[in-house]
Amino acid sequence: MFRKILVANRGEIALRIIYACKELGIKTVAVFSEADRHALHVRFADEAICIGPSKSSDSYLNIPNIISTAELSNVDAIHPGYGFLSESAYFAEVCEASRIKFIGPSSEAIRLMGDKARARSEMNRIGLPVLPGSADSIHTDKEAIATAEAIGYPVIIKAVAGGGGRGMRVAHSRNELLSSLKTAQAEAASAFGAPQCYIEKFIERARHIEIQVMADEHGNAIHLGERECSIQRRHQKLIEEAPSVIMTPELRAEVGCRVVQAIKKTGYTNVGTLEFLVDEKRQFYFMEMNTRIQVEHPVTELVTGIDLIRDQILIAAGDRLPHRQEDIQFRGHALECRINAEDPVTHRPSPGKITSWYSPGGPGVRVDTAAHAEYVVPPHYDSLIAKLIVHGSTRDEAIRRMDRALEMFVLEGVKCTIPLHRQILHNPAFRKGNIYTKFLEHLQEPRVRAVEMA
Amino acid sequence: MNLKELKEIIDIVTSNESIEELEIEKSGVRLRIRRSSNHVGSVSTASVASIAASPTITSAPAPSKVLAETEELFYIKSPIVGTFYTAPNPDSEPFVSVGDMVEKGSVLCIIEAMKLMNEIESEVAGEIVSVLVENGQPVEYGERLFAIRPR
Repeated sequence: MFRKILVANRGEIALRIIYACKELGIKTVAVFSEADRHALHVRFADEAICIGPSKSSDSYLNIPNIISTAELSNVDAIHPGYGFLSESAYFAEVCEASRIKFIGPSSEAIRLMGDKARARSEMNRIGLPVLPGSADSIHTDKEAIATAEAIGYPVIIKAVAGGGGRGMRVAHSRNELLSSLKTAQAEAASAFGAPQCYIEKFIERARHIEIQVMADEHGNAIHLGERECSIQRRHQKLIEEAPSVIMTPELRAEVGCRVVQAIKKTGYTNVGTLEFLVDEKRQFYFMEMNTRIQVEHPVTELVTGIDLIRDQILIAAGDRLPHRQEDIQFRGHALECRINAEDPVTHRPSPGKITSWYSPGGPGVRVDTAAHAEYVVPPHYDSLIAKLIVHGSTRDEAIRRMDRALEMFVLEGVKCTIPLHRQILHNPAFRKGNIYTKFLEHLQEPRVRAVEMA
Repeated sequence: MNLKELKEIIDIVTSNESIEELEIEKSGVRLRIRRSSNHVGSVSTASVASIAASPTITSAPAPSKVLAETEELFYIKSPIVGTFYTAPNPDSEPFVSVGDMVEKGSVLCIIEAMKLMNEIESEVAGEIVSVLVENGQPVEYGERLFAIRPR
């Protein structure tokens, strides 16, 4: 078992990892940028080392300083959290070479899944259905037109190295295709340093459903059911829930079984999430795999009663899976709302000082956050300031619980997404579970569309 | 005094460049706002009770003297995380000692990070006033290593 872990992250996830370590009796080392000197992860870790200036490229992404800290503080392992270095194959490789356990899959697995086009063809080869599209990146206009017309419009153009919604464009016609391809390539080049894009079939009313998996280093793997994350803005998730309204125990067992077989074949270890697009006929199409713990992991924790971060650490330490598939039970319904420091209408970030703060409690309510009254939301990092997660015996109960928790959440000084969450929760289509990835885009369009949807 | 009043007072000070310092005492609360070099007002409040317990705080000359002294010194800060060494190897003399005069670009110490020895050079010419870290100690990013009185 590990004695000491370095937490290579900040904010709520750094705290979440510290909670798990404290409960396991493992010492923690926090790293922080100059902007985070007074942050809670620094305060609650056993040790803390400043690793650079505010800019994340010089601090939370500074591999030499993080590895030096790990060596100086003599840790056994590094937990990367999500974002930052969590999906850097190079960082995982440096950890492996420095004999520090990277709490996640192998650098090889990260590299495979990081190349979205390669991941898709590999997972398709071992039995997961994918959307029809170009197997590889598109180089010429001619190739683009041939591919798009073979699979039929609308199509979506995506960056090979993509993520977070950047470098994605939908095209409904040949004209749109060529201009969108150029924009997507330019966006991909500036955001990821690689302009390569691929094309696939676009589903108009698709749901985003993902399957949580967990695998040990002894060849055992299980799934922990699904999370539905169809409420997104610009491909960034805003509300997540489990179970999905379209899921039945039979369908879950069928999809889960195929996913577990696929990850066993790849030799994947630690936790991971396979994201699928699901059409109106409940067909699952594999999109990508995230090789890290996810922001929305508490939703799965509330319906299964399993501590994912704890298990992640145990697996990395070489333990066998603590659960068998037949022991996994799904109880009730969980919802998560991401409270971001941003304008609820324009989605522009709103950093600044939180002047007044009260986070709600009561039955079935969990708040994962590193914010508090007088906390200054720095402008250098992502805008997530709290995750409000609720559990209820039914979806309806969970929605009512979430609504009252949002109502009682006091957060002043910065603009945040609470009003938007309440608007979504009160929408009749959302209440019926009639959701899809473009739901929010349509909700925020002129009223005509909103009425039509309801 | 509530938060809104406090904000208004700070706004007045920050928007009016002719005000260097402002001190207010009102119903048991004492507020002092002073313009700092990077133009955001630095704020310090203290209850009257704690001021009464240490009356010297209010005497102006002492703090300004401290300020004058710190302004003279230049601090060399660690650009990386690593282990601090005063000498190139355990048997050698330290690169510099207190009282030495150094030039801009003189090597002051070594910081070992990931098995690499990084020589840290002085950014100013002047006299070493103090060595702030002990040989062999770990240092973090931005940690003060040397105080130098610039020439």
